[in-house]
Amino acid sequence: MNSNARPFAALHPDIGTGPVSTMPAVDPAFFEKEREHIFRKMWINMILREEDLPNAGDYFVRDIEVLDVSVIVVRGDDGKLRAVHNVCPHRGNRLVREDGGNRKGFQCDFHGWVFDNQGELVFVTDEQRFHDLDKPNLGLAKVHLDTWRGFVYVNLEETPSQTLEASMADFNQDLKPFPFENMVLAGRYRYEAKANWKTTMNAFQESYHAAFVHKRSVQQCLEDDADPYLASHRIKLQPNGNQSISVHLPPHELTPTEMIAYGMGATFTQGGDADQAAIPGTAQEGIENWAFDLNIMFPFSRINVGAGWYYVDAFWPITHDRTVYELAFYFPIPTSAGAMISQEYSKIVLRDLSREDLFTNEVTHNALRSGAIKSIQLSDQEIAVRHQYEKVTEFCGTESAGDDHE
Amino acid sequence: MTMSSGLPENFKHLEPYQGWAHSTEDGRMRQRLEATMDEITDYYRALLPEVNNIANHLQQWPLDAIPAAQKPLLFMALMFMETAMCVEFFHEPDVPEALGAEHIEIYAGRAEQLVNQSG
Ligand code: FES
Ligand SMILES: [Fe+2]
Repeated sequence: MNSNARPFAALHPDIGTGPVSTMPAVDPAFFEKEREHIFRKMWINMILREEDLPNAGDYFVRDIEVLDVSVIVVRGDDGKLRAVHNVCPHRGNRLVREDGGNRKGFQCDFHGWVFDNQGELVFVTDEQRFHDLDKPNLGLAKVHLDTWRGFVYVNLEETPSQTLEASMADFNQDLKPFPFENMVLAGRYRYEAKANWKTTMNAFQESYHAAFVHKRSVQQCLEDDADPYLASHRIKLQPNGNQSISVHLPPHELTPTEMIAYGMGATFTQGGDADQAAIPGTAQEGIENWAFDLNIMFPFSRINVGAGWYYVDAFWPITHDRTVYELAFYFPIPTSAGAMISQEYSKIVLRDLSREDLFTNEVTHNALRSGAIKSIQLSDQEIAVRHQYEKVTEFCGTESAGDDHE
Repeated sequence: MTMSSGLPENFKHLEPYQGWAHSTEDGRMRQRLEATMDEITDYYRALLPEVNNIANHLQQWPLDAIPAAQKPLLFMALMFMETAMCVEFFHEPDVPEALGAEHIEIYAGRAEQLVNQSG
């Protein structure tokens, strides 16, 4: 093989080419460091669009298990979107148990305190018996909220070390112009995997595995002898951990069903070269047989854009060996049955294919836990995996936290 | 979920398959996993030539105004997409070597909500 087979390492001499330790993927103490040094400090994609909460009083609740927090995102009567902790300031009861809806305000079911949809405390039951309640300062505890291209993010740091805008700056050209506003939620999925979040995510950061893990589900795309491993031509690694990887798929014969689906809309596997106008916010123009871009926001969420669809996903860390993979798939607003039927095809392909990945990840995680190997070997095509371990250890160190205490 | 009143005129011959007309993606996936490969193949073959016809027929209504009597046709076309995966790729009802379906939750998208809220 010539050096053209390994174009990416040379662009990133700082992250090396050697074996990478498995410790960060299997060590429970390392996970504790990640929780404090990474998860608690980042902007978290809520997998929620601003337009999901169009009216005053619309709210959405997400529990972020790894940080033990529950966050309410709510549009106030003043039209502003806010994020607040889902905790009553009286004695700490969980305020809301539904996962969303519309409310004028929130009443706690422990002693009946009432908060408006801007988070202010507006009513205290039997208030006369309290001593000097500082009501203006007893609203729901605030959480930093910001939006980027309509995506709602929160940050749980006291003072975020970076603005959302700055943390997304790498994507201003590559992704920002994508026509997100023309699309709506087509399907949403939640998968529970018994594996570390990184082990789970790593299979979603390279195309090298497709020839094996997806040999059934995308078999029609794997028959090009010149390109059996779909080696990516574009991998961008950013200093703050963000990444963008372009995936291409060789021209392939459509199955009878994909033919039907493609006749009525875009499909997951029928890439952007197929007589489509250039799609802004993608790498389509520069990549032959471009199919989609995986855009990874460090540490664990993505906004992946294709020819006529996008999906947002997150590998929510739960414990060192449990991850929830959540995926929301967006397509142009279906105005007819035909469009809906067409979209169903791609939804099912992606849904089934994700299950193939997650099965492999669970098996791999178990194997790593056995301690049989202490490091993994990464090719130039897997440089995004290397980059992720590099970033994680930059924040958390290369030593197991358990070792520190010995 | 399933209408007992029969299918529209041009699709009477699909009536034996009305039991596949689930209104949610979750319901359709679970039915697929419970079916045998023979049943799935039979359904796939019956619907393959009809999916475009169903789409064309339903084109006369916006998604949120499809009459109740017509909805089973839409659901059957959506179910066809489940069975296509089995017939064209997996050769069995479930995904081989995959995370178990009991570990997945499926939520409705906008279109599914529109269809199921109306009529
Ligand atoms: S804890 Fe909420 S009113 Fe008492
Ligand atoms: Fe994969």
